[in-house]
Amino acid sequence: MQILINGIISGSAIALLAVAFQAVYLPTRVFFIGLAGIYAITPFIAYAGRVYGWPWPLAIAAAVFVAIGLSLLFEWANHARLARRNAGEGVHLISSLGLYIVTVQFVAMVWGNDPKTLRIGLDSVSRFQGVIVTGAQWITLAAALLLLGGFALFLRRSTLGLRLRAMADNPVQFALFGYNVNSHRYLAFALAGFFAAAASLATSYDTGFDPHMGLHAVLLAIVAVIIGGQGSFLGPILGGLLLGILRAQVVWHFSARWQEAATFLLLALFLLLRPQGILGRQTRLEAQ
Amino acid sequence: MDYLLHLLVYFNIYVIVALSLNLIVGYGGMLTLAHAGYYAIGGYAYALLALNLGWGFIPAVALAMLICAVLSLAVSLPSWRLRGDFFVLATLAVQALIFSGIYNWSSPDAPLGSWSNLTNGPFGITGIPRPSIFGWVPTTPLSFTLFATAVAALCAFVLWRLQHSPWGRLLMTIRDDELAARGLGKNTRLVKLQAVAIASAFVAVAGALYASHVRYLDPSSAALDESILMLSMVIVGGLGNFKGPVIGALTLIALPEILRFLHLPDAQAANLRLLIYGLLLVLMMHLRPNGLAGSYRVQ
Repeated sequence: MQILINGIISGSAIALLAVAFQAVYLPTRVFFIGLAGIYAITPFIAYAGRVYGWPWPLAIAAAVFVAIGLSLLFEWANHARLARRNAGEGVHLISSLGLYIVTVQFVAMVWGNDPKTLRIGLDSVSRFQGVIVTGAQWITLAAALLLLGGFALFLRRSTLGLRLRAMADNPVQFALFGYNVNSHRYLAFALAGFFAAAASLATSYDTGFDPHMGLHAVLLAIVAVIIGGQGSFLGPILGGLLLGILRAQVVWHFSARWQEAATFLLLALFLLLRPQGILGRQTRLEAQ
Repeated sequence: MDYLLHLLVYFNIYVIVALSLNLIVGYGGMLTLAHAGYYAIGGYAYALLALNLGWGFIPAVALAMLICAVLSLAVSLPSWRLRGDFFVLATLAVQALIFSGIYNWSSPDAPLGSWSNLTNGPFGITGIPRPSIFGWVPTTPLSFTLFATAVAALCAFVLWRLQHSPWGRLLMTIRDDELAARGLGKNTRLVKLQAVAIASAFVAVAGALYASHVRYLDPSSAALDESILMLSMVIVGGLGNFKGPVIGALTLIALPEILRFLHLPDAQAANLRLLIYGLLLVLMMHLRPNGLAGSYRVQ
């Protein structure tokens, strides 16, 4: 039971980041690895704020603000320009990888390569029928439920959410109906920055952070996207939870060092046997 | 002088790496991030054969090439069904699995090279013997440099002939229009499989050369950063012809050495070097998608 709960909570952090990735990937088809840079820089902003003696809400707000700003900057300076020239997906991927490297090395040069923590001292603990949940885990769970629930509502109930789904479905037709594709792209990138910041802050508060953790976290999120279904906004949530549970089980039954092998084996299996994911539908090759 | 010779050896190693990667990325049109994995497998295979079994350079490298060619199926089989971003992701999974395998295939009790402690995990392999070619061992820096240059020249010649053969043209046809190549009755899957296998076999030579030069090997040579460095080389230099990757290898080997003379603190210099690689990737995609001297751009 404890393993399952731990898996669900770490899975919900993966799900948050997976939704961030998918928020960009579905409407714009940009394979946004730069997200890993945003994920890496966010806790350092909050950390710097705390060092200057800012209260928690202000430090978190500053971190989220920087994350969204950086995400918009990446779109403005890189992806929007490439998209205007009809660049292929490989070009987006490589330049995004470059942006990730630049951000992470910048963070490492400013704050150093060593791990840091946001929290000082031991965490509070609550027990229910033999299951132990720490304060940081509660925060992760609450943030994930609130934000993912909010995102699902936003997609289903609001006009803006409907437009985002329409753009994901067919960007050309979306543009033909007179909607401004560029401004909706910015919306997608802002959402991605916001969710990445939330995932990053929750994880950093729980386990600490260093400049190089971003790519690994984003890779896990992408695996969650593939498992859950690459064609849906909410499939990644399911994928993230499943991945979290699987990784917790691997730690319990084998060893923590086989976590990565199990994760990427699962990815390889899905890519070969069910590339559309659990919630995905089989599409024609030309439509992909 | 020894410093320059050392750089020359590195240049030779990375010329083989870049030319072989160019066969997959530039001629085959398949963006892979798993190349460092095969580089490390080649190095480990050579190191273990030479250290534990006392094999000479040529038989050990031949077996290392064979191992890498067989294991390259992990990259070429996904290329039959996946393309674009999802193929890149599959190669990333291969890279992660190789890294994880090398990092974890160890146990503290068993001797190095036995079945339960094949790679010695994170501690790596030390004391790898110098290459021995029919009894001749290059011991001085100069003789090793000559040896490395000869190996690199041989590999470059074979790859050059391959790229200008009918087989190389067929590979480029598949890259540009796979359906058309299939329509002409070509076995595109077989050619892709061959290209990836040949490239992985050649990068194994580079790995073995590295292992015998540095004489120490740890899992970091299979890390993702290494794959990214290799990819930066061919992208900065240029894809799809012979001179591009060579120029790329030269540029990315020379760049950190120039930084060395700026007298930055060590920790900062490593970060700055990577930062410049990242910046180069972004700028290249915007300003010169063909690279410095390439004739094919990433799609």
